[in-house]
Amino acid sequence: MSVETDDGHGHGDSHHLPAVEDWPKGFGEASWWPFIAALGGGGFYVGAALFILGRGTEPMLNPMIGPLVFVLSTVAFLTGLYGWLYHAFIVDFWEGEADSYGFPLKLTMLLFLGTEVATFGGGFVYYFFVRAGAWENLPAIVTEGEVLSTLVIANTLVLIASSVTMHYAHHALLKGDRKRFVRLLGTTFGLGLVFLAGQVYEYYEFIFHYGFGITDGAYGTAFYGLTGLHGLHVALGAVLLAIVFVRALYGHYSPEKHVSISTVSMYWHFVDVVWVFLVVVLYAGAIV
Amino acid sequence: MPPEQLALTALVGGLFVLAFGFVASVKNWRTRLPFVGGKRLATDGGHAHGGSHAHKPSGIVRWLTTVDHKDIGILYGTYGVIAFLWGGVAVLIMRIELFTAASTYISPNMYNALLTSHGITMLFLFGTPIIAAFANYFVPLLIGADDMAFPRINAIAFWLLPPGALLIWAGFFTIPLDLAIGPAETSWTMYTPLSVEQVNPGVDLMLLGLHLTGVSATMGAINFIATIFTERGDDVSWANLDIFSWTILTQSGIILFAFPLLGSALIMLLLDRNFGTTFFAVEGGGPILWQHLFWFFGHPEVYILVLPMMGLVSWILPKFAGRKLFGFKFVVYSTLAIGVLSFGVWAHHMFGSGIDPRIRASFMATSLAIAIPSAVKTFNWITTLWNGNVRLTTPMLFCIGFISNFVLGGITGVFLASVPVNYLLHETYYVVGHFHYVVMGMIAFAGFGAIYYWFPIVTGRMYNRTLAKAHFWLSMIGVNITFFAMLLAGYFEMPRRYATYEFNPSLAPLAEITLLHQAMTVGALIITVGTVLWLVNIVWSWKKGGEVTDPDPWDTKEYGLHGREFAWFEQQLAATDGGETEIDGEVATDGGETLGDE
Ligand code: HEM
Ligand SMILES: [Cu+2]
Repeated sequence: MSVETDDGHGHGDSHHLPAVEDWPKGFGEASWWPFIAALGGGGFYVGAALFILGRGTEPMLNPMIGPLVFVLSTVAFLTGLYGWLYHAFIVDFWEGEADSYGFPLKLTMLLFLGTEVATFGGGFVYYFFVRAGAWENLPAIVTEGEVLSTLVIANTLVLIASSVTMHYAHHALLKGDRKRFVRLLGTTFGLGLVFLAGQVYEYYEFIFHYGFGITDGAYGTAFYGLTGLHGLHVALGAVLLAIVFVRALYGHYSPEKHVSISTVSMYWHFVDVVWVFLVVVLYAGAIV
Repeated sequence: MPPEQLALTALVGGLFVLAFGFVASVKNWRTRLPFVGGKRLATDGGHAHGGSHAHKPSGIVRWLTTVDHKDIGILYGTYGVIAFLWGGVAVLIMRIELFTAASTYISPNMYNALLTSHGITMLFLFGTPIIAAFANYFVPLLIGADDMAFPRINAIAFWLLPPGALLIWAGFFTIPLDLAIGPAETSWTMYTPLSVEQVNPGVDLMLLGLHLTGVSATMGAINFIATIFTERGDDVSWANLDIFSWTILTQSGIILFAFPLLGSALIMLLLDRNFGTTFFAVEGGGPILWQHLFWFFGHPEVYILVLPMMGLVSWILPKFAGRKLFGFKFVVYSTLAIGVLSFGVWAHHMFGSGIDPRIRASFMATSLAIAIPSAVKTFNWITTLWNGNVRLTTPMLFCIGFISNFVLGGITGVFLASVPVNYLLHETYYVVGHFHYVVMGMIAFAGFGAIYYWFPIVTGRMYNRTLAKAHFWLSMIGVNITFFAMLLAGYFEMPRRYATYEFNPSLAPLAEITLLHQAMTVGALIITVGTVLWLVNIVWSWKKGGEVTDPDPWDTKEYGLHGREFAWFEQQLAATDGGETEIDGEVATDGGETLGDE
């Protein structure tokens, strides 16, 4: 009986079973991982709902319940995700068909990035609305032109550099230069963390030294809404990079087997491009 | 607690017990069926590990862990039916209330809550999932795939839906608890500033639930596109891809951009409600921004719902017309055209919102244009029937009813898309009539037709034909009474979303409006009777209906219209009968396996 994984769905002429290794083991069409991951995924929303109910001057329940549910859901979600990814992609890494699953996964990443365009689109449309509309009650950082600081520019350069190192890491892998691949991948991950740290520092500066927060007018909403959304994406990207980096350290990937490097790289470049657009319209566009 | 709320709580509770019983007994039905994942189970109580070789655990665990697209399809279907029942009960309460002009049984607030829940439930919890049910079960069979491209993502996407529904309905569950949480009263469009200003946290819960179901729909859409692109069997090319898969592909493409945008808008609304942001505040994006974002999602959403249903009709109707679908290519092209155009017409919902007249005019033009590909389909269906050997089976009746209702629903849409007419009819019952001809008269009808058509494959049994025909005629008559009365009430300028209609008699034709409202209520009751017959028929036939042994229950072979899904069914039948049959190609799935290869 052939072992079939999410990534290895070939066009063989006998029916492939998708989940033979999964727990419960040996059935082939049964797996607890999706249910557990979805329990966590749904739990995030329940946790958020309980958090909202715990807010305000007369909270309906203990304000700690929401966060607690959220944390428990994270555990469930990560467990499910780990089990799923492990059984779908890792357990069978070297035995799976080498090239047949590359296209589906890259297509999937592309489709996912399409949804991301729409997700970011909502926030940008809001910003364009206010930028092209009344554009008043501006915070000091905008009127005095300080929003586009050297910190942001440096941070932007860091992110662009990480895209370059990612590209060359992939390149090195394809050329069979493993050492260079791992080094550059690690560098990419490190630069991603530096970017996140820079972002946190910027928030800190703005909130505590400039007194500019999310409720400070239409621009505050746009600024924190969009940079926050982007920051979440970079954080997710860093997690993905960490995963592939650890896998690389464990010896995964070869010039023939590099699909997840391709997909993570696509995602990382996308996040980078969004950032550049964001700097242009939200930082520079605010003060011109 | 007022008696009305008590009664409602009891009703909802009862519905849940019913739903739960339904789900719990599904597992028993399935173990009695000849096919479980294409294999015959031991019939003695369904122990899956017996002589037969099983890929799934038994009992409830099987349903919680399944990654089989057919099982997930059944889960989606069960979920959609439960949602349909709640949405139906909600609207029935409203319709009974509206039998008289005054507020009699329920408070106006309760009316608003039911109105909101009805709309949200039918669109997000019934419409999208019921399509996913058909697509999950049948797209892999129709394209010769083993399963979906990502079976586990498929399962995750489904399991995100139940918590989503619980959050969306949460405001109703908390009524007996007497907390400060109630059901949302925002209507399905959730227009700001109303939706920002309602302090009721039930609105927040609904927004969170909606976001969650949107995530689920998006995951499903990505999976369907990946499946249709990469999992087609060797002999399925783009040229001979079936029409249903084409519509699912297009629909998934629309979902890809529509749902994430709605997701962002929902989060923005949540932030405005809870964290003092200004996304839809006057000093920020303003209420108009909400309308733009909502309808940029909302109009594509109606095509997300209707395109696959058009695909089902395009697939089923030819089988009983004895002719191939006329102008197949043009049906595909018009599907793609609608898919693209659907993103370019959203502002026709906002003609009354004071937008720039030039924008109004251009959106009027695109909205009129979208009627063209819609009409192309209608003419193709009618031409398929022309000179055909029409057999009026129940699925066929539903297909024909679908076309008839689309003519009315579509043409009223064209009227509404004309700006001057829209000024007269906007926010009246005419709009409600228009879209119900489409959502009930088409989407639900195609769903029923497909359920009847594929009933033999899914259950291995046949439904009761007499009951099914009664269901059709009651539905058809009920729909046309109810929704035609709505169109007329719209001409009398009866405003929509009102809990009462005690207007000043010198200004409004009260007698006519009352009569029309009573007709609507009667029509709704007729639809209810039909739906109850359907439910009884399905449940009873699933358990006790005659077993289908003929691999071609619809006699499509003689017309050369035997579909891949029935070819697959034939393989299953052959494999369970003697186990001797030589099965080749990827249609032969796990049914071809022999004992002892585990
Ligand atoms: C022939 C193509 C169609 C045209 C030109 C059209 C046009 C319109 C227009 C102009 C409105 C706005 C009415 C108003 O509020 O003043 C409207 C409302 C609506 N239409 Fe259509 N329509 C078409 C087909 C459909 C289809 C196929 C569906 C469903 C699958 C649909 C569902 C709806 C819904 C749900 C609303 C009401 C939204 C609301 O305000 O709650 N329409 N349509
Ligand atoms: Cu529309």
